[in-house]
Amino acid sequence: MPFEMNFGWTTPIGEVVLGATKADGGTRRISYRIGGGTTLPFLESSPSSPAPLIAFEICDNPDFWSPIVKDYCGDVVNNANEWAKKADADYGADLVRLHLTSTKQRNFSDIASLGSVVEGVLSATSLPVIIEGSNEPKIDSEVYQKCGEAGQGERLLLGTAEAGKYRSIAAAALAYNHSIIAQSPIDINLAKQLNILLKEIGVQRDHIVIDPYTGALGYGFEYSYSAMERIRFSALKGDTDLAMPMICSSADTLTIKEVREAGDGLQDETAIQWELFTCLAAATAGAEILCVRHPGTIVPLRKALAGMKQPAQSAGVP
Amino acid sequence: MTDVESAKKHGEESLKTRIASIQKPFSYEETAYHLPISYALTGVAVHDRAAAEDVFKKTAGNPIVASECLLAEQTAVKGKEPAPYTGFISDTVIRKLGYSLVDGSILGLALIVGTPKGEGSAAAICRELQEKYMLTFLAGTVVPSLSAAGVKVGLDYRLIPLGSSPFYGIHFVDIVARVAMMFGGVTPGDMHRLLTYAAERAKAIVIVFPGLTDEEIALVDGMRVLGFPILSLGGYENATWVPATPGDVVRQGMELRGIRVNVTAIPIPMSCSPAFEGKSIRKEEMYVEFGGGRSTAFELLRMREPSGIEDGKVTVIGTEIDSMKEGSANPLGIIIEVAGKTMKKDYEPVLERRIHNFVNYGEGSWHVAQRDLIWVRISKEAVAKGVKIEHIGKLLASKFRMDFPQLLDAVSVTLITDPAKVAEAKKEAERVYDERDARIKGMRDSDVNTYYSCTLCQTFAPNHVCVITPERLALCGAISWLDGKIAYEMSPSGANQPIEKGAVINELTGEFEGVNRFVKKASHGEIERCSLYSVMEYPMTCCGCFEAIALMLPEVNGIMVVNREYKGMTPSGMTFSTLAGTIGGGAQTPGFAGISKNYILSDRFLQGEGGIERLVWMPAALKEELKERLEKKLEERGLTGFLDKVADETTAETIEALIEFLERGGHPALTMKPLV
Amino acid sequence: MALKALDIYKLLPKKNCKECGDPTCLTFAMKLAGGKADLDLCPYLSDEAKSVLGATTRPPIRLVKIGVGTKNFKVGEETVLYRHEKTFYHPPGLVFRVTDTMPAEEIVAITRRVRDEVLTRVGADLRFNGIAIENVSGSAETFARAVETVEKVEAHLPPVLISKDTAALKAALVHCGTYRPLLHAATQDNVQEMCALARQHGCPLVVRSGSLDDLVNLVKTCTADGVTDLVLDLAPENFGEFIRRSTAVRQLAITRAVPDLGYPVYLNAAETGQEDAAVALGIVKYGSVIVTDPLPSGSAKAALTLRQNIYTDPQKPIQMNPGIYRVGSPDKDSPVLMTVNFSLTFFTLQGYLESARVPCFMLIVDTEGLSVLTAVAAGKLSEMLVRDSIKTFGLENEVSHRKLIIPGYASPLSGRIEDATGWKVLVGPRDAAEIGEYLHQEWKK
Repeated sequence: MPFEMNFGWTTPIGEVVLGATKADGGTRRISYRIGGGTTLPFLESSPSSPAPLIAFEICDNPDFWSPIVKDYCGDVVNNANEWAKKADADYGADLVRLHLTSTKQRNFSDIASLGSVVEGVLSATSLPVIIEGSNEPKIDSEVYQKCGEAGQGERLLLGTAEAGKYRSIAAAALAYNHSIIAQSPIDINLAKQLNILLKEIGVQRDHIVIDPYTGALGYGFEYSYSAMERIRFSALKGDTDLAMPMICSSADTLTIKEVREAGDGLQDETAIQWELFTCLAAATAGAEILCVRHPGTIVPLRKALAGMKQPAQSAGVP
Repeated sequence: MTDVESAKKHGEESLKTRIASIQKPFSYEETAYHLPISYALTGVAVHDRAAAEDVFKKTAGNPIVASECLLAEQTAVKGKEPAPYTGFISDTVIRKLGYSLVDGSILGLALIVGTPKGEGSAAAICRELQEKYMLTFLAGTVVPSLSAAGVKVGLDYRLIPLGSSPFYGIHFVDIVARVAMMFGGVTPGDMHRLLTYAAERAKAIVIVFPGLTDEEIALVDGMRVLGFPILSLGGYENATWVPATPGDVVRQGMELRGIRVNVTAIPIPMSCSPAFEGKSIRKEEMYVEFGGGRSTAFELLRMREPSGIEDGKVTVIGTEIDSMKEGSANPLGIIIEVAGKTMKKDYEPVLERRIHNFVNYGEGSWHVAQRDLIWVRISKEAVAKGVKIEHIGKLLASKFRMDFPQLLDAVSVTLITDPAKVAEAKKEAERVYDERDARIKGMRDSDVNTYYSCTLCQTFAPNHVCVITPERLALCGAISWLDGKIAYEMSPSGANQPIEKGAVINELTGEFEGVNRFVKKASHGEIERCSLYSVMEYPMTCCGCFEAIALMLPEVNGIMVVNREYKGMTPSGMTFSTLAGTIGGGAQTPGFAGISKNYILSDRFLQGEGGIERLVWMPAALKEELKERLEKKLEERGLTGFLDKVADETTAETIEALIEFLERGGHPALTMKPLV
Repeated sequence: MALKALDIYKLLPKKNCKECGDPTCLTFAMKLAGGKADLDLCPYLSDEAKSVLGATTRPPIRLVKIGVGTKNFKVGEETVLYRHEKTFYHPPGLVFRVTDTMPAEEIVAITRRVRDEVLTRVGADLRFNGIAIENVSGSAETFARAVETVEKVEAHLPPVLISKDTAALKAALVHCGTYRPLLHAATQDNVQEMCALARQHGCPLVVRSGSLDDLVNLVKTCTADGVTDLVLDLAPENFGEFIRRSTAVRQLAITRAVPDLGYPVYLNAAETGQEDAAVALGIVKYGSVIVTDPLPSGSAKAALTLRQNIYTDPQKPIQMNPGIYRVGSPDKDSPVLMTVNFSLTFFTLQGYLESARVPCFMLIVDTEGLSVLTAVAAGKLSEMLVRDSIKTFGLENEVSHRKLIIPGYASPLSGRIEDATGWKVLVGPRDAAEIGEYLHQEWKK
């Protein structure tokens, strides 16, 4: 390039390792090292950071899952193990993100079953796994203990810590050496505060992935986009409390009217396109894990990312 | 009475001898940390006598290390004790226990050793520990004494019987050592980190019944190095162990280690939620009322020494609600006493303001105003449900603890309804109010070295940094220096941060090295300089929340102020909203500054431009709003009558009219040093 | 760094003559500082002031107008790298491409689609902006015919004419030369002829090169030749190159480091092999004219929506029109939920209400786009506003009950709203996510 852009960055984005291979005491066939960027996304001429990863989201109880996805995937949605296997082998995801939606049932108490769900998914796929625990503060403590224990050694990414509920997830991360997703409601300062709280409780920087929360395209996505840009900017300018990789989930986008009511025959196409647009925009703003729910989004998304950067380098292959 | 010092000496000598006589090699299964205490302290994996002696020497003959080695050998020789005793606990279980500690479902750890007198005393202590979310370890005859009293032990009951003799108490320490290595990032051999972790993070206490041997005393006393308080229930003579009674030992121990139980439910017959905050209680719905000009009433919150307060205590002095006539007005004094390690006297008024919110949270209680102007009502509905004056006290005591867990350790509430006593207590309250007023009023920017920032608005104004000083509140008018200070103390990673003002660069414009440094960092490098008292040079950035805008009018060499409520045109040719749109968003715009309305009354207002004499125009309503206070200020400064020289929309709507008005009135700004 | 209003003011004549249209010189200076006024409006400016101000108040990226009439679009005049720093001003023109080898019916159909298709979101009509006609036949005559076919639809859409062949462009310009079409593209090989054409027809011109050095040279040639309405085609080999070059152009332009790069950027998504992704990246990464093959419905809507999101002024939240909105088919007994007109609040609540499947009314009051918390704090949300809104929008005629559910954060106002309106106020949850549960439990009572 004949003209140099000069941004005056001082600090690279921190790195986080997802998944543990046999060499690291786990059973994953691959692990990823994300982060490490030294400038705005995709600007490095010789990349010091890998291309964003694509995570496919599944759940253990599809009652509230998008009907579009359920129709497209078929019966497999009722079996988390099979679904995970499919995400890995057929859909071609880099990561599987399991939402323990069964915990959303009223008065859910079968904590032990969650352990088997997590173990099941971990044996169904050998990709690194993200586990989303409960949404119910009353059972958080038991749920995250169980998730952490079930995934011991696998270096999971556990979600989702928020300012009001982070202790259990942090405890699980510390006890069983996992990383965690720290989510704040589209606000750079709140993101920073949560990271400081996590630091105080003992979670290391290289175990935190920031989720600035992704609003649905057309319904607040612009706030998320700018929050991500600002987090990346502040991180590169030296704010180490924000210098972690970010995760974006386009899940909300599937629930909006334009997608839900896309009309017969257009639903899959619309869902895929809206997820694609959301993820690509988030990637340019700094997201390094892109989560999708429609299997059809993975191929075009990967193709586009490949045009933006070399594919992810593995942090360790057995 | 056993003399701890001499017992300890004997015990240590005897341990030393026994270390030398270790025969067999030993090791625990199910752990990656060898003998955890020795390993954490020295990094040496101890499995035989040689290593044991080495570590013993390295730790200067530490009785804990000695005990750990001896117990390990004993276990290797004799095998594990039978159930219910756990003996050495595996890493897997420790991971779970550590999880519960980080997660907050266990608040702390307790060890009980010794021989309780009578079955009930240990049982009561254990029950209290269970209720307070403590995980309790037991070693020695305390275990059979509990079983005899019918107390179930085991991990599920948070009562863990380590072994049949107090010697097994060593496992309590090896658990703390492993938690430090697993969760606290303590690397084996880093003795300093381990001790710091144990002292600062491990919330552990030791409760000692009589009857320990010399060796056991040496072991228990050794735990003091780790910062664990040793609470003695009698039988020992010593200066460093804390004497306690069975009824108070748990509270005392927890307080010594700063272990706090969070209040989550308020035991009153009335719902309590912010949702009820705006509900008023009309006259016809009211059962009784207090204050509001109908009777004497006041509220006062004061800080006390922790020893002087019994947490959660509510006292009602005078008649209760059931002896009050329906529809009547009664006297009331609300006195709240608080204590806390980080509580400061300065916070009193800020916390006192919360009484208003908290009382309003009650579904049937209502509160307006503050100090001795309060007006409180309780509804008929609430009284029918059984709400009493006492419950208002309970509500306040609980809410203060719930909302300020970091700040307050104890809160007690006294409610006075006795007319004579209310009148008497009110005199004292008034003295306190006066004292506070004098302190706040007199506070000047030059009195403090620390200002506070506010970056709440960075959500939409990315580079905006508000600098809050005693004489210049945040430009939104909502956050005073004291508010900023308290917000920081309560939430050290929040949006209000301390700013060391540093060396003076320009006294007049209020530019400080420290402020500049802070602003540069907090604005992500965008803003290099910030002068606190100047509109013209490096004024503070503007977010968008400012109550008013001060801007220079070059034509008249003066500065005008327009407030948000004023919708009309100003002599600048721009309305408030046009101006706000141009200068907001976190930019620094020389000649323009966002300010709070109250700042106009400050002595620092326009200091950089020569003082309030620069003020040439402000909307009539704003003038009216500030008039009384402003005129007093002006008088003090020898500017009586100045306000009449300041134009408003009724006298000048355009710049031309303003020039004429100011010339006619002989406004001082016209002859001051040129602004541009 | 742009000059501050005060610095500009010092250079102005300080006459307050009002001839610029502003009441005072200071007002004019403020506008200049914000890049919202033209220096030439001041008739009394000294030459010295002109030269000082000229360089710094001129927009760092030139505003280029494409097309004429009501459907023209303007791009450029951007001032920041991140939208949060200020805002992005001129949304990119999304232009559908036809080729001159397509059957006439297809060309007509696509032209009509661009003319007619509209997506209405948040009170705004979102449309595609123009038609690009590409000369792939190699024949000037065929190209001209295709252009004629487009023009005959009389959609009056801004045209983009794509051809390497100046003769073909010349022939096409016969049909649309007066409509300010964007000509694509001048390269090292044809820059002289292209400039001549652009000058002759007063058209904006795209210059194309994969090297920023070459682009600067091309720009210099064009401007020296009197063609100043330029657009830059960065000829990216892949998405990564597009992002890198486009970011470089934006950064170097707005910092005035390389003023010759101060022009809007052109992106042909059709030549990237993955149009939907290219359009998305073009929108977020500084594309100003984005040419694409007609997008299928899903990506078309996603593109328009993403563009609307990214080009929303971050300091002026999108506001809903105040009024009564229906969720499902509410009747006289349905609940009424009051909230503010901040779009994010509105949509969040609406979303949760829809999934709660309780038909209801939303009473949206005008808090000037402030959220509930800020509106309450700033006093924008008051009992008077609620009372007036109930009257203005005729809420009394919609429902037979007199119960109003207000947001949890507005609870301090509940008593005053009851007093002012005579309606019974129920305080809802603070978090919209809990509204379903709330309605099921509380409204049934």
